[in-house]
Amino acid sequence: MQKGSFSWKRIWPYAALFIALLFLPMALSRFYVYITAVIFVTALLAMSLNIVVGHGGLYQFHHAAFYGVGAYTFALILTKTDLPVWIAFAAAPVAAALTGLLIGWFCVRLSKLYFGMLQISLGSLLWAIVFRWYSLTGGDDGIHGISIPDAIGTINRSYYFILLVLAACVVVMYMIYRSPFGKTLQAIRDNPERCEAVGIHVRRHQLLGIVVATFFAGIAGVLFVVVEGSVFPDLLFWVLSLEVFIMCLLGGWFTFAGPILGAAITVSLRTFVGTYTEYWTLILGVILILLIFFLPEGVMGFIIDRVQGKKTLEE
Amino acid sequence: MLQVESLRKSFDGFLAVEDARLTVEKGEIVAVIGPNGAGKTTLFKLITGHLKPDAGRILFQENEISGLPPYEVCRKGISLSFQVVNVFSRMSVFENIQVAVLSHQNKTKRLFSPAEKHGVEETEEILRNVGLMDRADRVSGSLSHGDQKVLEIAIALGNRPELLILDEPTAGMSPEETSVTIDLIHRLTSDLGLTILFCEHDMELVFSIAHRIMVMQHGRSIIQADPETVRRNEDVQTAYLGGT
Amino acid sequence: MEWGQTITFSALGVHFLVGLSRAMILFIVCSGLSFVLGVLRVPNVAHGSLYMIGAFAAFTLNELFGGGATGFWFALALSPFVVAAVSLAAERALFCHLYQREHLMLLLFTFALMLILGDLVKIVWGADYRSITAPEVLEGSLPILGSSFPKYNLFLLFVGPLVAVGLWLFTNKTRIGKIARAAAVDREMVDAIGINVSWVFAFAFVLGCFLAGLGGALVAPTISITLGMDHDIIIEAFLIVTIGGLGNMWGALLGSLIFGVTQSLGVLLWPQFAIVFPYLAVVIVLVWRPTGMLKSVW
Repeated sequence: MQKGSFSWKRIWPYAALFIALLFLPMALSRFYVYITAVIFVTALLAMSLNIVVGHGGLYQFHHAAFYGVGAYTFALILTKTDLPVWIAFAAAPVAAALTGLLIGWFCVRLSKLYFGMLQISLGSLLWAIVFRWYSLTGGDDGIHGISIPDAIGTINRSYYFILLVLAACVVVMYMIYRSPFGKTLQAIRDNPERCEAVGIHVRRHQLLGIVVATFFAGIAGVLFVVVEGSVFPDLLFWVLSLEVFIMCLLGGWFTFAGPILGAAITVSLRTFVGTYTEYWTLILGVILILLIFFLPEGVMGFIIDRVQGKKTLEE
Repeated sequence: MLQVESLRKSFDGFLAVEDARLTVEKGEIVAVIGPNGAGKTTLFKLITGHLKPDAGRILFQENEISGLPPYEVCRKGISLSFQVVNVFSRMSVFENIQVAVLSHQNKTKRLFSPAEKHGVEETEEILRNVGLMDRADRVSGSLSHGDQKVLEIAIALGNRPELLILDEPTAGMSPEETSVTIDLIHRLTSDLGLTILFCEHDMELVFSIAHRIMVMQHGRSIIQADPETVRRNEDVQTAYLGGT
Repeated sequence: MEWGQTITFSALGVHFLVGLSRAMILFIVCSGLSFVLGVLRVPNVAHGSLYMIGAFAAFTLNELFGGGATGFWFALALSPFVVAAVSLAAERALFCHLYQREHLMLLLFTFALMLILGDLVKIVWGADYRSITAPEVLEGSLPILGSSFPKYNLFLLFVGPLVAVGLWLFTNKTRIGKIARAAAVDREMVDAIGINVSWVFAFAFVLGCFLAGLGGALVAPTISITLGMDHDIIIEAFLIVTIGGLGNMWGALLGSLIFGVTQSLGVLLWPQFAIVFPYLAVVIVLVWRPTGMLKSVW
């Protein structure tokens, strides 16, 4: 498996970061290890959303619905059936991707805002069903005390598991980002009309992008259950979708790794602010406004622009 | 090669194209001229599938293509270069052309191998042909207008079309850029064997390179013939060339 | 699943009327959302928050004016204006500077506004739920179709069409209303005529929020006024506006009727999953007509 332009010069910062993260649980208390694990899960969710929003230009307003489907599928298989754990691991992303395919098929027939509104409608229908189907999903109580296999049951073990899964997913997403499909999706984002004119069936490619993105969202859902041990309907709630959207914006949605940064900042701030005040939502709103006005390319976008700006000056 | 018969298209009551007729033979350079609003761009959009005709037929290599969506028309071998620059502004010049090449090679759904390994030779060949090789890595949004118009043509070439349709290829270009583009058009026909259909307002250009000219006015085709016949035609003189 | 109970004609009829009256509130709220969507081409995510503020403001005004009948009527009359003032402040301070930006940014701004207003309500009024009682003349119920029908719902059945007619007159017969409608279809044209488009937007936004506040004040006596009202209503409003046709006022009415009635009938037919009925209706409409039943304003 060749990696194209593989050079140690570009890889080493990420490798170093990865190794540093491996040693994290030895340095931090249980609580912070837990928070970092939550950051990883959220980062994966945000990265999955960015495949269709930042790289694809779609108004995916209710991405959380697929995250929730993945989480609930995993939880339900573990609690309601005797199927082996690995089936639950495999089924959840597939269920999420199938949901993505179904909902996506309806949505790609429309453009922009209509796409988003329809997705909110269909996603909310899913939420309503999960919310009310008490006997199956536990309704608004959710499902708690899901038994996670021992191998990944403790905080530290689940941390490593999630870190490895996240790293694997990021690598795969990077390959997709650099692949012909990734380029095509970005071209569709920039100019769908031109794409049609060069022979690209825009809707089909958008749908493929949605399936890929929702597959990863399903994986994120599984990881959520691994770290929390429970599921609740909030995972499919529309407000969460918009929060993830903000993370992509905050990190920089035209960059590859921006959403990871966005997720890290958001979860860290939420935890930190949460110890001082209960008005985290207010702070998040203010941050969003500041972003819109001053930093629309996101933090990473801003940094990259600066770095590239300096480079061209030096040339 | 291309036959347009009695094409008709109206928008909310406004009749943009009423009775358009056109034939293009293989290897020809055919120009469509007419005053602003005559329906030239609409005609091109009808041929390439961006618009659906209300009536009439479009035949390409004996097959009917009227009403097909743009991506299918493209696959049949017709490429359009737009009047208003329509590129992928956030991507580099190289990537812009590569997208078209990848589409032609049916590789757009490849997920797991790097894009740098695909379509590179073809893309570089096109870059050399149009003379943009030295600017290949620049973000296309940052190019000069003239260069962007050339990029427009380059993207259209990515699909290895048999018929290349150019909508005002030299609009907004300086005289030097225009003569470079004329050279390019000549080379496309002579070296690559392309058939070219274009529209322009620059009459010198049109009369110097076109084999045949079709004149449109108010959405109708008035005449299609070789340049001398067109120049001498009375209707054309009164409608269009008279005042100039 | 309670299929066992016999569904009498009178139960059906009364539920239908209740659904209708609930649809009136939905319509008032959604007409505001639709109007803003039509003129500014942005779905105001904070619309639900302004609805919630309308309800809380009605509570406070009610207390201020001593409760009872006077309290209620003053609250109903004044709280939409309170909401309008809040929205005007947000618009002039921040929103108007974004009109040149792409639509996604405007949408995200309204989301930020929703987050901020949601917590502001928590700060001002606290997390406890409030309630407001309707005046005596509207309390109690009337026997209709053999079942009892709340008088307040009858009141809503009068108010709804009144607001609809008033809105129609306002947008079609007044100068500013017509300008707003023109700006919805073609803002460059309006700008070219020399009208300050920014002020047209401000007007449309404030009017939309006024209607949200009115809806909140009207619904206040029928529910417990709590945090979370904003989330609940905004999803419903989005769905209704989507099935009605973006920006289309009559579409908002049609969508509200469908939503309100299916929800009410759902309560009768399958109480546990009542909430699914209107969502399902929405899905059916959208599969049949993806861009809404009536034409979008643009």
